[in-house]
Amino acid sequence: MQEMILLIVSAALVNNVILARFLGLCSFMGVTTRVDTAVGMGLATTFCITVSAMGDWGLERYLLEPYDLGYLRTVTFILIVAASVQFTEMVVRKVSPPLFKLLGIYLPLITTNCAVLGVSLLLVEGKMGFISSVVFAFASSLGYSLVMILFAGLRERVALAEVPRLFAGPPIGFITASLLALAFMGFSGMSTN
Amino acid sequence: MSGLGGGGMAVSDRADLVEGTVRVVALEGGMAMLEPEQTTSCGGCGSAAVCGEKGGNSAQWLQARRFAIANDHDLVVGDRIVVGIAEGSLLRGAVAAYGLPLLTMLAGGITAQQMGGGDGASAAAAIAGLVTGLVIARFWSRRLLAQGDLSPRFLRRAFGPGPGGECHS
Repeated sequence: MQEMILLIVSAALVNNVILARFLGLCSFMGVTTRVDTAVGMGLATTFCITVSAMGDWGLERYLLEPYDLGYLRTVTFILIVAASVQFTEMVVRKVSPPLFKLLGIYLPLITTNCAVLGVSLLLVEGKMGFISSVVFAFASSLGYSLVMILFAGLRERVALAEVPRLFAGPPIGFITASLLALAFMGFSGMSTN
Repeated sequence: MSGLGGGGMAVSDRADLVEGTVRVVALEGGMAMLEPEQTTSCGGCGSAAVCGEKGGNSAQWLQARRFAIANDHDLVVGDRIVVGIAEGSLLRGAVAAYGLPLLTMLAGGITAQQMGGGDGASAAAAIAGLVTGLVIARFWSRRLLAQGDLSPRFLRRAFGPGPGGECHS
């Protein structure tokens, strides 16, 4: 259990997907203008990353590795990601049509999010067992959601501040993101995983 | 209702409401069918024209997100209105749809592993946990719907031509 907790802390904070590995920056800048959209996007991405990690682990363990098909990894993982997004869309629509109408807007965005593929490739590189891989993917996506929500809160505050005209919009957003990344560097001594 | 999740969202002056602009596309009995307005990509890069934020086929995508409200304000087809939903409802809905199945999935998988199961048993338990979570989510969302938490409500009429329209015709 201690190992699991260290894995979660390492994946979510120390090696944060956005601020340490610089993945998923497109949605990070595009969907964080408001906290509520960041929450919806973060939770939807968390679900899709975790589900696709399960499929990617199985594909790597039982097909790609035994038959030495590593050169197909990127292509097949992208297919798994797209399939998991479609699966999520179908399931949410079936489980609750009102929730699908409310939250389904974020799902097409996830297919083109490089953080989803990036997390899958990272867990393959780590050569972990099934549960460790799923927990790693879940924790990475939790870290992604956390940073999205934090950044959305900061951007809402910055939007109300008197920003020089030339820095308004994306420029001040990137400066804010870099300061947030500096703050997260403080976690770097917590875990060596 | 995903219009409230797109670029047209705004935090209301009533801080607990999330607003979105929708258009009346049909009237059926005493109900008005609403469709979220098509939003554009963020335009933050050179790939804006092919950005996945548009969600593929826009017409079908928007049609899949139609919803109905009671027509208590003499709405006609073509009217643009602002609807709102409580911020907490959005969060509760997201937790119900995504958070709960994930937690049950992880609980099932970790429990199987702690009991000495291998990767196969853990995977099977995780999938069973995911299915269980989805079933619970279905009941929870029905309860939220019955309480009116997931239902947007009419706030006011929107003015202006909307996306793609011209101010002076």
